[in-house]
Amino acid sequence: MDKIINDFTINVATANGTGSQSANLIILHSLFEMGVPVSGKNLFPSNISGLPTWFIIRASDRGYQAPGDETNIQIMMNKDTWEKDLASLDSGTIIIYNEDAKLPVDRDDCTCLGMPMTSMARGISPKMARLMANMYYVGGIAHLLGIEEDAISSAVEQQFRGKENAISMNLQAISEARSYASENWGDVCKFAAVSRDKSSDTFLIEGNEAVALGCIYGGINMLSWYPITPSSSVAESIINWIPKLREDGDGGSTCAVVQAEDELAAAGMVLGAGWAGGRGMTCTSGPGISLMSEFIGLFYFAEVPGVIWDINRTGPSTGLPTRTQQGDLSMCYEASHGDTQHIVLIPGTVDECFEFGWRAFDYAERFQTLVFGFGDLDLGMNRWSTSGFEYPSQDMDRGKVIRTQEEMDSIPNFGRYRDVDGDGIAHRTLPGSGLAPILYRGTGHDEDGIYSEDPQVYYEAMQRLKRKIDGSRDILPAPVIREEDEGEVGIIFYGSMENSIVEIDDLLEERGMSVSTCRVRALPYHSEVEQFIERHDRVVVMEINRDGQLYGILRKELPTHLISKLFSVAYSDGLPPKAREYANRVIEVLEG
Amino acid sequence: MVKLNVLNLEKSEYKGGKSSLCPGCGHDQISNIIIQAAWENGIKPEGIAKMSGIGCSSKTPAYFLAKSHGFNTVHGRMPSVTTGANMVNKDLSFIAVSGDGDTASIGIGQFIHAIRRNLDMVYIIENNGVYGLTKGQYSATVEKGSKKKKGTANEQAPIDLCAMAVNLGCTFVARSFSGSKKQLTALLRAAMSHRGMAIIDVISPCVTFANNDESYRSYNYVKTNDEVLHIVDYIPHFSPLSEVEVPEGEFSDISLFDGSTLRLETVSDDHDPRDAVAALRAIHEATQEGRHVTGLLYYNPDQPTATDTLGLSDTPLMGLSEAELRPSAESLKEVNAGFRAR
Repeated sequence: MDKIINDFTINVATANGTGSQSANLIILHSLFEMGVPVSGKNLFPSNISGLPTWFIIRASDRGYQAPGDETNIQIMMNKDTWEKDLASLDSGTIIIYNEDAKLPVDRDDCTCLGMPMTSMARGISPKMARLMANMYYVGGIAHLLGIEEDAISSAVEQQFRGKENAISMNLQAISEARSYASENWGDVCKFAAVSRDKSSDTFLIEGNEAVALGCIYGGINMLSWYPITPSSSVAESIINWIPKLREDGDGGSTCAVVQAEDELAAAGMVLGAGWAGGRGMTCTSGPGISLMSEFIGLFYFAEVPGVIWDINRTGPSTGLPTRTQQGDLSMCYEASHGDTQHIVLIPGTVDECFEFGWRAFDYAERFQTLVFGFGDLDLGMNRWSTSGFEYPSQDMDRGKVIRTQEEMDSIPNFGRYRDVDGDGIAHRTLPGSGLAPILYRGTGHDEDGIYSEDPQVYYEAMQRLKRKIDGSRDILPAPVIREEDEGEVGIIFYGSMENSIVEIDDLLEERGMSVSTCRVRALPYHSEVEQFIERHDRVVVMEINRDGQLYGILRKELPTHLISKLFSVAYSDGLPPKAREYANRVIEVLEG
Repeated sequence: MVKLNVLNLEKSEYKGGKSSLCPGCGHDQISNIIIQAAWENGIKPEGIAKMSGIGCSSKTPAYFLAKSHGFNTVHGRMPSVTTGANMVNKDLSFIAVSGDGDTASIGIGQFIHAIRRNLDMVYIIENNGVYGLTKGQYSATVEKGSKKKKGTANEQAPIDLCAMAVNLGCTFVARSFSGSKKQLTALLRAAMSHRGMAIIDVISPCVTFANNDESYRSYNYVKTNDEVLHIVDYIPHFSPLSEVEVPEGEFSDISLFDGSTLRLETVSDDHDPRDAVAALRAIHEATQEGRHVTGLLYYNPDQPTATDTLGLSDTPLMGLSEAELRPSAESLKEVNAGFRAR
């Protein structure tokens, strides 16, 4: 049989808390070990045990990382979703199912491959049979795709590191399943996994851990946090790395960690840390940003540095807590009452999660304001490939902090909020220094920080703040542009959509469109974004939300003559973006 | 001759701007006592951080200690800002002013959690039972049956912040009255010498909205219903105890963190401030009789503070250099290698 090499999507349907995550990661890592370009997505419920969960594994020699638009191999382990899972499959799908579920598999148009997984597992360990059953589909998949034994062993060892008993039991289960499949199923699979040269440098890592390491290398002094999915692992990773990387010579920690009573307090602590001259950060998700909004306005108006990482989940309200979205963009950009505007850094890869992790502190101190890191569940909690993080290329930027009387004397007409350099950024002094003390406040204040309700003073203060944040545009990360010569269609996108863009681009090119892409990496947007729009006839702004939030921001800020070029493709169902879905929508808006 | 403190500073070095509160406001008296206490204790003004939330009381940091940095934050959330600042600079002396609206309503959660962490700060509640800045609505600390100048009497049970603090194990809990200058000065000086969370709930009459005789927090009412636990006398660490005159009656001494002493002279019954149940009983009995108990209610020294439990670097974190904050390039290579080997 002619095989389709390294181009398939596996969907595993299980229930939460049944140990399937280990099995799924073993499939993912064993393919990765073979050098097969692979990505995995965990679609999990807001629940500890019992609700349905799906894991999607996509292998693609072309490097496509979006979940595949159709499933090629379906693994059926969950009785609760059995019928629905079966019904959703296209004709020709390979179905691997647990015979012990004792449910009908009436799809004559598919290749249906059963195995008594639970009973076989009972043979190894009656107590562990429910957990071990999952290893049998690993073995089944390994047989069908021809996943190498070595790759499986190495993935199992990695998964159960140090637990010799678990390693041998699971390897035995996989091996039993492989033999069973070989004897009972035969060679029925048209897909195959074939080894590729794997760079020895690459590894898989979750975006949240990359953000955490970025913060560690960014010199974070204080982490305050309140647990919330999907951001908690940022905090937990930081806590994990502090003893290894952030202790002084005497074993003292150089980063304080406070689990706050709520998100309001977490934001207040970041504000206090920034005011006192430290590098404070908190991580949260949309509901947390809603609660923090009061303090966010104080950061902006009193001009205090701080960092908040928003790992987006699906809103509004409690929404779909374990699903992904880019739904908080406009909120982050303009959070809090009155006129405000905040710097938002938007990584699209795990490398950028690390880089923006440390850079966020530099921007916050340089511009004396709050900086958002903007991630999402897809990038943050799924594993992505990197060839290793790069050490910060610049020294820390601590901003305009006056630390000595000499420095103070060199500034003519000093005032905490007086713009002596013309860049909108004034100089600040720190509590404890005794230099030019003031009472910081969220009320109106003049250039010396004294309470004021004077109309002109207020107006000018607000104009300066606008000028200050506006001045960050071309200092913040520039967009990543992949440009075609034709200049017909441009696509603007951001964040985790990076993982689907290559495939979307290919699908559009197949339709004869010449497409350039521009990935926005920060707000306020860089001037190159505007130039990109200038150069293209029609520009689609593509994002994972309902309302087209970046589209709205661009419409508000672009010169009038560019606005008519913009089209919005905004779609969100809680799941990571599938390429064909978005490609079809792009075609629809451009041809419609 | 101008009087100087142990740092050779005049009292004027501790003053602030002109108050914009109503003439006769109890809060202004408290501001003066803060100035007096900080000056007498010889605390460096630049080493102090003044913290507040929102409300009449929270405006007052502008009226004292002009040489100290401060932060007039948002309503009810001063404790979290103080926590963050404390985490990165544990050497700062935090003196915070809040009100009964700020602390007992919108900010009660942050108040509770600051106590739970034993945040190293002085937390003064300027407690008048009404929201002054929004023109005299009752707050959550006002007594049942108390009546402000206009409107009907309050019908809801009050929250007693001292009783709550004692229950939470707060390490220093006192109540006083803005009109009791000597008592409040001594208690405040002792609070400044304490390490950990020191709460002083100060009854401070609102002259505009609730200084009528039917108000349990009017000047006249508090003057006639003040249940004094003990006479307090503060003896600073720089004045040797042996040189201080010994009182004639019974007394007990409390040793404070910085070596200073708070002397408690018995008025009628003994009150042991280390006995939480006695403190709660004193509060409860006074409340039953419509009286205010004042003095050092509870003292629980030598408890770890918010930063003690974290094993932080000796140097305040905000003072660390880039070399101390950013791990080496070599370490990142090891981190990457570790992931590759996983």
